[in-house]
Amino acid sequence: MDLMQKLTILADGAKYDAACTSSGGDRESGGRGLGSTIAAGCCHTFSADGRCVSLLKVLLSNHCIHDCKYCVNRNSNDTQRTAFTPEELAELTIQFYRRNYIEGLFLSSGVMKNADYTMERMIKALELLRYKYDFWGYIHAKTIPGASPELVRRLGLVADRLSINIEMPSEKSLKLLAPGKTKSAILKPMAQISSGLTQNKQELALYKNAPRFAPAGQATQMIIGASPESDYQIINLASGLYKGYGLKRVFYSAYIPAVQDSLLPSVDTNPPLLREHRLYQADFLMRQYKFEACEILSESTPNFNPYLDPKCNWAINNMHLFPVDVNRAPYEMLLRVPGLGPKSAQRIVHVRRSARLDFPALKRLGVVLKRAQYFITTKDHPRGINMGRETTLRALIDPGVFKHGMEQISLFGPSGRALPGASDVKQVDEAVEEAVLCLKASL
Amino acid sequence: MSQSKPLANPVNVEYLYDGSLPGLYCCVYESVYEKEIPLDILAEADAPPSLLERRLILTDMEKAKRVRASIPKKISARAMELIETVFLSCLEKKEMAILRFLLFAYRHGKNAADMWHHPLVDPLIKAEKHLLGERHLLLGFIRFSDYDGFLFSTITPKNYILPFLKTHFINRFSNENFMIYDKTHGAALIYENRNWSIVSLENADIREPSEEEQSYRALWKQFYNTIAIEARTNHKCRMTHMPKRYWENMLEVKDLL
Ligand code: SF4
Repeated sequence: MDLMQKLTILADGAKYDAACTSSGGDRESGGRGLGSTIAAGCCHTFSADGRCVSLLKVLLSNHCIHDCKYCVNRNSNDTQRTAFTPEELAELTIQFYRRNYIEGLFLSSGVMKNADYTMERMIKALELLRYKYDFWGYIHAKTIPGASPELVRRLGLVADRLSINIEMPSEKSLKLLAPGKTKSAILKPMAQISSGLTQNKQELALYKNAPRFAPAGQATQMIIGASPESDYQIINLASGLYKGYGLKRVFYSAYIPAVQDSLLPSVDTNPPLLREHRLYQADFLMRQYKFEACEILSESTPNFNPYLDPKCNWAINNMHLFPVDVNRAPYEMLLRVPGLGPKSAQRIVHVRRSARLDFPALKRLGVVLKRAQYFITTKDHPRGINMGRETTLRALIDPGVFKHGMEQISLFGPSGRALPGASDVKQVDEAVEEAVLCLKASL
Repeated sequence: MSQSKPLANPVNVEYLYDGSLPGLYCCVYESVYEKEIPLDILAEADAPPSLLERRLILTDMEKAKRVRASIPKKISARAMELIETVFLSCLEKKEMAILRFLLFAYRHGKNAADMWHHPLVDPLIKAEKHLLGERHLLLGFIRFSDYDGFLFSTITPKNYILPFLKTHFINRFSNENFMIYDKTHGAALIYENRNWSIVSLENADIREPSEEEQSYRALWKQFYNTIAIEARTNHKCRMTHMPKRYWENMLEVKDLL
C-alpha cells in the first residue's frame, strides 16, 4: 500500500480523538537539531469542522485486537487495515514539520498483537525522531492500556505529553462498551505517569540534566453521549482526575455514531455538540476560575442548562453575591462576573491602580458590558444597574444555543417539559423570549 | 484637575519625513521644540499631492537618538516597546497617533503606556495587539516549500511582522536555510548558514516545485481533508479562526477560494 493510502486510513482512524493541543512548555532547540515548542500552543490550520489542527494526528496502526463498541477500529468492524513502519512515520513527521505544516506529532494506535508489542513499535518511531533526526518538536503519545510500566516510562522519556483515555465516564459503561479494557488497566498507568511526573520534578530540581519525563504532563479523554451518565457525574469524575492524578487536561468527545450496535445510540443520532460545549465550559471554570464541581451542578440539578453557560447559570442562582465593585473586588470575584474572563479581569486589576473605572473605560478594555453590566458597580454606576430578573436573563441567554437546533436542546430537557428550540419558533428573538419565560419559571 | 498649559498647539502644517523610525523621532523633536502639533505626518514617498503647507523634516541621527533616549527615561521601557511595535503596524495615521501619545506621555510619566482605557493610549494598544495577533497566526499559517534543501515561503501580512517572526523560526529551524518573503511590504527574512538578514525584495521568482515537494503537498492536503469530521462541519467557525485573507498562501485551502 502506498503512503497516501496509509495516511488516509490512519488519519481517518485517529480523527475522533479530541485532544490535539500542542501546549505545554517552551523548549528551544538551542542551536542543534530541528524544532522547538511554544507554551501557548500553535494552530497550523483549521479543518472544515472548525477545529484547530496543530499536530500530525495519526494511528501507528488500525489493527486492533479489542472490540470497543464505539470505535471505528474495533476488531469486528469490516474495514481496511494497515500500519506505518516506524521509519515511514518518522520521515513523514519530519517532512511535514520542516514545511511548517505541523507543530509535532500525536501518535496513538490500535492494539496490534498485545499492548507491549504496540508500545514497542510506538517507542521505536519516537526514538527515531528524537535520536536519529534530532527532532525537538512536540510529541503527544497515547499510552496503551495494560502496557508494562517499563514501556510507559520509556514512552514518557521521548514524549512531551502522555495520555491514556478513560474512554467512558463510569466503570459500568466501560465494561459494557469496551469489554477488552478494565478500569485498572487504565488507572494503573495513569497513576504511574502521575507519580513519574512528581518524581521527575524532584530529579530536575536536583540535577538540571536529569532526563525529562513527559514535560507537558498527562491528559485523558472520555466519550460523551454513548452512555447514560449525567453531566454532574462527568464533571465530578473530571474534577477527581484533576485532583487525584494531576492531569493537565480532560478532553470530552461528543460521540459520533460510526457503527450500529444495539448498546449504542442509533447511527442517525446527531453528536451532542452543545453538551460537549457546556462540558468544556464547566471544565474551564474548574481549571481556570477555581469553581468546584458542586458549585456548577448538583444531585438535584445533574444536567447543564442548555440556554445558559455554566457561569451565567451559577450567577443567576447566586444573585445575592452581586453586584460587585469593579474598582475594588478581588480578582477571584471579578472572574465570577458573567462577561468577564481572565483577560478582562486582569486588565481591570491592572488599570484600576491608576484610575477609577467607568463604563466607557471598561468598554475600551474590551469588556462586553451586555452581560457584565447587571452584576457590577462602577464609578458612573455606583449602585449598579438593576433591571430585574427578566432583563438580566435575556442578556445571559447564550444565543449560540439555537443554532444547535431543537434536538440538542431536548437532550437536556427536564423530563416531561418541552423546551423551545429554534425550529419551534420562527425567529431567534422569539425563541429567546420563550426561553426567558421558561427559565424564569424554572430557576 | 490642575492642568498646566498645553505642551503644543495645533498648526496648519503637515510634516513630511523619510518614513523611517529615526525620521519619525525627528518629527517628534520638531513638534516638541516648536511647541506645535502638525495636521499630519506623512512619509514623503507616499504623500499624495496637497494644497496644505508642508514642512520637510530631515532625519538627523543626533536628534533621533535624543528623542529615543528620552522615552525610557521620561516614560518607560514599555512605552518605547509599544511605540516601536506600533510603528511597524498597519495602524492608519500611526505617526500622528505616536506623536499624540508621546506628548501626552511625557507629561504623564511612567504609567502612561499602562493607561489602556485612555483614548490616546487605546489605539496604540489595539494596533500592537493586531500586529501581535497576526504574528501569532502566521507562526502557524506559514507554509514552506523545499527547493533542494532551501525552504521558501511567501506571506502577505497587513503588518510588517518579519522582525517578529525571526526568533521563532531561527530557533525552530536552526540547521536549515530558509527565506520568508513578505510580498505586501517587499521584504524578506533570509536565514542562511546560521546568519540572518532582513532585506528589501520587490520580486521573488519561484521555480516549479520538485516531484518530492509536490508529493508532500499532496499528502498534507489529503491529511487536511481526512481529519475533518463531517458530522461536525462548521465553515463559519473555520473562518473565524482562520480568516480568508490568509488562505491564498495556505496550500490546503487555497483551492477553496
Ligand atoms: S482498543 Fe478499543 S478504542 Fe482502542 S483502537 Fe482498539 S477498539 Fe478502538
